[in-house]
Amino acid sequence: MAKAQDDSRRTFLTWLIGLGGAGIGVLLAVPGARYIADPLRRVAGKHGRWSSLGDLESLPKDHPVSLPVIGEQVDAWTRATDVALGTVWVRRGEGEQVQAWNAECPHLGCKVGYDRDKARFGCPCHDSEFSPKGDKLGGPAPRSLDPLQTRVKDGKVEVRFVRFRAQVAERVEIG
Amino acid sequence: MGSLADWLDHRTGYRKLVSAALDEEIAGGARFAYVFGSALLAIFTVQVATGLLLMITYTPAVGGAWSSVVYIQQHVAGGWFVRGLHAYGAQAMVVVLGLHLLQVALYGAYRAPREVNWWFGLALLGIVQTMALTGYLLPWDQKGYWATKVATNIAGTVPVVGPAIQTLVVGGVDYGQSTLTRFYALHVAVLPAALALMTVVHVALMRRHGITPPHGADMQKKGRFYPEQVAMDMLFSVLVIIVVAILTGINHGMHLDAPADPLADYPPRPEWYFLFLFQLLKYLPGSMELVGTIILPGLAMGFLFVLPFLDRGETNAVGKRLHLLAPIALGFIGIVALTVMSYQDDAADEGFQRARADSHVRAQRALQLAKQGIPPGGPLEMLRNDPMTRGKDLYDQYCLGCHTLGGEDQEAPDHGGFGSRPWTLALMHDPQDKRFFGTTEIDEMKPMDEKVPPADRKAVAEFLFAEGREPNDADVDAALVAKGKDVFEDKCMDCHLYGGDGAFVFEGPDMTGYASRWWIYRQILQPDAEDQYGELNEMPSFEGDLSEHDAKLIAAYLRRQRFEPLTK
Repeated sequence: MAKAQDDSRRTFLTWLIGLGGAGIGVLLAVPGARYIADPLRRVAGKHGRWSSLGDLESLPKDHPVSLPVIGEQVDAWTRATDVALGTVWVRRGEGEQVQAWNAECPHLGCKVGYDRDKARFGCPCHDSEFSPKGDKLGGPAPRSLDPLQTRVKDGKVEVRFVRFRAQVAERVEIG
Repeated sequence: MGSLADWLDHRTGYRKLVSAALDEEIAGGARFAYVFGSALLAIFTVQVATGLLLMITYTPAVGGAWSSVVYIQQHVAGGWFVRGLHAYGAQAMVVVLGLHLLQVALYGAYRAPREVNWWFGLALLGIVQTMALTGYLLPWDQKGYWATKVATNIAGTVPVVGPAIQTLVVGGVDYGQSTLTRFYALHVAVLPAALALMTVVHVALMRRHGITPPHGADMQKKGRFYPEQVAMDMLFSVLVIIVVAILTGINHGMHLDAPADPLADYPPRPEWYFLFLFQLLKYLPGSMELVGTIILPGLAMGFLFVLPFLDRGETNAVGKRLHLLAPIALGFIGIVALTVMSYQDDAADEGFQRARADSHVRAQRALQLAKQGIPPGGPLEMLRNDPMTRGKDLYDQYCLGCHTLGGEDQEAPDHGGFGSRPWTLALMHDPQDKRFFGTTEIDEMKPMDEKVPPADRKAVAEFLFAEGREPNDADVDAALVAKGKDVFEDKCMDCHLYGGDGAFVFEGPDMTGYASRWWIYRQILQPDAEDQYGELNEMPSFEGDLSEHDAKLIAAYLRRQRFEPLTK
């Protein structure tokens, strides 16, 4: 009889301890998980923004040039104006035609360069190569360079700057 | 499940470890009096978990610390709760540590052969207090900044080595980035590591000698650590953590003050558990200060240190140890009394209450501005470009000497409600009122009641109110403004200018943009300009004393008076 009573008391206390421990665990785990996962709920937002690159007339006609995209940036708690958001390659065509590409390699995001002698874009990381029109020629890149929308307003070139997910065949805007 | 556990046990031998940790006999039975040590471990676990979370976001930089804490507080999911648990958890740790010390003292658990463990406990007490002190600085807000500045200066009063200690802690002569980085390193790495290691030794020594039952306990009674004592420990731990969570909930996390500003006025107070030391210093002027900062705390710790040697009696009965427990009890009563007195002093101190209210306004303003994002130059730059903060400070400093905002004994116009419709109406009614030109020698303007009927005066007030309007302000009555303009041109422009025109006999200022930022800015820098008060002017020009930037901030601040009530 005493033994059975002792056992049930022991079981009760064990449950009590488990419950208390679980309670404290939940109290920490729930806000903790939300805290850690916070960036996940921030990615959804407006993608792309128009930004001025400068005078159309200053662009050379025979080869592409890389230009910084300057704009406002909110980085965690800092709101800064006139920050370099990224680089685009810009190539002038006939009349007011302008082609632009995001300078991030679609493979893993290194900044592609342009070799004027070979007349092609090349990635310094894993040797992906692209034609002067941005088409993929070789290397591990899953797709051609990512083209960006452009327009010319009052002689100024504007680009809609967008970033894309790397290492996938289709273009997915991520910011 | 069972076979997996067998497999794991075969590889690791964990069952033996668990049973060694839990299957302990407690002489005299489990007691609620023994719960404090385990509760401290439970809170410490909460502190480690929440502390690691905060570290994901917190940035120990003078220009970024406050901003990152605001970000935690305002933007990160669950951030305010995690930070609140951490801050109130720290306070809970200090409280439970006090209870633990009292229990150990009361039961005589410091007596031979447990002296070394007692000393470890005292060292842990010091570490926990230092954790609390260093953590208090990390948000780099006004309260942490000033309280810790006082604390490091106190460290500097230690004879001989004090200045060197202070320089080492501060990381140089100036209190700033090096201080913050050092406190951060201490708070998140050095002290927690020391705390964890010493706790391991503390617990191991406790297990070696066993628990100390009170005198007269029934030693025939045998309790088990698991589950009996653990259940009691758990109950108390959960209770403490619930209190911490409730405090966090009702206060929406821990209060955050305005960003640390070496130039701002602030009434510093340490965190409440150090208030007794703060209060003690009030009674010890000048040369006696060392008594409060070093000697008394040193004596108290020294007494606790040698306590095991003073207490060599046969028994741990409380009655036989009263002479040793009395100093401890007196110490605690003294701490409580000084703490209460400190609160009473502050409650009765109107100056302190006013300063605290001001700093609260400043903090609220800073937090509100921060919601839009903080400029790369940091929160101080943000506040220094804010009319409601910096503009107010400058106004108080440069303008309040002669002007007033609803005060008395001014030498110049009362700015309460300056530029509002009631202001203009009251001014037209009686320019010689002491709120207006009554305190000056300007008597050129006459009461307008007879010259201008009430409806026209109302229209003029609307017209002049519209002169200071900005795009985000509420709309004005356009028809009334147009009417007011006609009345103004008809009745006022004998003396006043508008748009550089008018003034048959020039006496009063040009009312174009009256009470707008630009108008006030001109008045601050060039009050005697032809289109301001000209020869009638009595106000000093602040050109040269104030930068253009600062004059603009004052102008933007003063323009807001149009939305405030007129002084009665």
